[in-house]
Amino acid sequence: MIEVAGLSKAFGDKEVLKDISVTFDAGKTNLIIGASGSGKSTLARCLIGLVDPDTGTVLYDGRNFIEMNMKERKMIRREVGFLFQGSALFDFMTVEQNVQFPLDMLTSMTAKEKVVRVAEVLERVELSHAGKLFPGELSGGMKKRVGIARAISPNPTYLFCDEPNSGLDPQTSIVIDKLIHEITLEYNTTTVIITHDMNSVIDIGDHILFIHNGRKSWEGDKVSILETENKEVLDFVYASEFMKKARK
Amino acid sequence: MGSFVFHLGKYIMLLWRVFSKPEKFSIYRRRLFDEMISLGLDSLGIIMIISLFMGAVITIQTAANIDSAFIPSYTIGFTTRQSSILEFSPTIMALILAGKVGSNIASEIGLMRVSEQIDALEIMGVNSASFLILPKILASVFINPFLIVISMFVSIGGGYLIAMATDIVTITDYVEGIQLDFRPFHVVYALIKTSVFAFLLTSIPAYNGYYASGSALDVGRASTAGVVNSMILILITNYVLTQLLLI
Repeated sequence: MIEVAGLSKAFGDKEVLKDISVTFDAGKTNLIIGASGSGKSTLARCLIGLVDPDTGTVLYDGRNFIEMNMKERKMIRREVGFLFQGSALFDFMTVEQNVQFPLDMLTSMTAKEKVVRVAEVLERVELSHAGKLFPGELSGGMKKRVGIARAISPNPTYLFCDEPNSGLDPQTSIVIDKLIHEITLEYNTTTVIITHDMNSVIDIGDHILFIHNGRKSWEGDKVSILETENKEVLDFVYASEFMKKARK
Repeated sequence: MGSFVFHLGKYIMLLWRVFSKPEKFSIYRRRLFDEMISLGLDSLGIIMIISLFMGAVITIQTAANIDSAFIPSYTIGFTTRQSSILEFSPTIMALILAGKVGSNIASEIGLMRVSEQIDALEIMGVNSASFLILPKILASVFINPFLIVISMFVSIGGGYLIAMATDIVTITDYVEGIQLDFRPFHVVYALIKTSVFAFLLTSIPAYNGYYASGSALDVGRASTAGVVNSMILILITNYVLTQLLLI
C-alpha cells in the first residue's frame, strides 16, 4: 500500500502539484488519469523519488520515502518495478539480459535460479521465443511486454506503469492492460498506472485518481467514473465523439 | 567563468558518484571487458593506419628539411623516434581517440538519458553513473597505454618502410638513428600522458552525455561538446605534464 498525503511540487513559480492526498491499495490497479500537463507524471516521479516534492509524505507500507536518505531510498526502490512509457530497455542487452538485469543487480540468486526466473517471466508475457533478440528488433507491443517482464522479474511489491499503452494499437493495448491487471492480482502488487487511455480506465480501473491542473479533482472506480457529475471528469471522459455517442 | 565553475563542480560531483563502491563487482567486471573491446580493440585498426602514415610522413619531412652536410642522416631516424614517442603517439592518438571514442561515449550515454534508460537504472537502485561510466574510464586507462605502445612501434615502422622504399635515408642510418640516445623515461612520460588523456577523453564526454536532456538534437550537441571539451583539456594537460615531467 502507498499512502500519499499533502503532496505539493512547484517548478519556479509554476505549481505542478497542489496538496495531493490519496491511498493506493495492494492487489488493485490504481490509475492516475488526467489531461496532458495536469501533473500526473510529476506525481509518479515524486512517488518514486525521481523528483523531490516541496511538501507532503509518501508512505510505502508505513515507511516515509520522502524522509529517507539515499541509501534507504535505494532499498525501497529495489521493491519497485517500473514500466516506462518508451519501455527504456537497455539497447546493448538482449531481451533475456534485460529481464535478468534486475536479478543480477538486486538479488543474490544463483545463475541457475536466474535462468529459471527469466524463462518464467518471459513465458508469463508470452515472449519465450524472443529471448535472444535485441530491443531494436522488437515491435512496440513486444517492447512493452519485455518492459513488464523486466519490471516483475525481481517480484516487486510495487509496480509503476507510465502510459503503458502509448503508441500501441487498440488490440495490443488491451493485451497489455490485461497482462498488468492479471499480474497485479497474481503477485498482489500495489500497481500505479499513469494513463489517459479511456479504454484502460474502463477495463482495469479498480481505483482511479483524476488530476486536474495539479490538484486531485475526483477519485473513484471504473463504474463510478461513468456516473459522476464532476464537470472536469466529464469533459475528460467524454472528450471524444465516440464516447459522446456512447453516452447518448 | 561562472558557467565554468558550475560545470567543474558538477563534473567533480559526477566523478564522486562514478568512483563510489560498485553494487556488484561481477557485473562491473563483465562490463569492463566489454568496454575494453569496444573502446580499445575496436580502435586498433585506425590507430595502426594513422601511426603508419604518421611515421612515414615524419621521416619524409625530416629528410626534406635537413639540407646540411653537417647534420648526419641518422638524425632522420632519431627525429622520427623522438617525435613518435614524445608527442605524436600519445597526444595525436589521444586527440583522435577523443573524436572516435569520445563522441561514441557521449552519444551512447546521452541516448540512454533521453530514452529514460538511466532513469530505469536509478529506479532499480543502481548507481547509474558508476555502472555506465566507471567501466569506460577503467577500460580506457588500462587499454590505451597498450594502443599507444603499438602506435609508437608502427609509427617508427612507417619510417622504416620509407627508408626501404626510397633513397632519402639508408636503412642502416635509420636504424642507427632510432637506437641513438634512447631514454626509457621518455616512454614512461608518454605512458603517464596517455593514462591521463585516457581519463579525460572518457570522463568528459561521459559527463556531457550523462547530463544531456531533451531530443536527439541535444544528444548531438552533447556529443560535440564532449569531444571539443576533452580535446581542449588534453592539449592543456599535455602542456602542463610536459612542463612538469620533462623540464
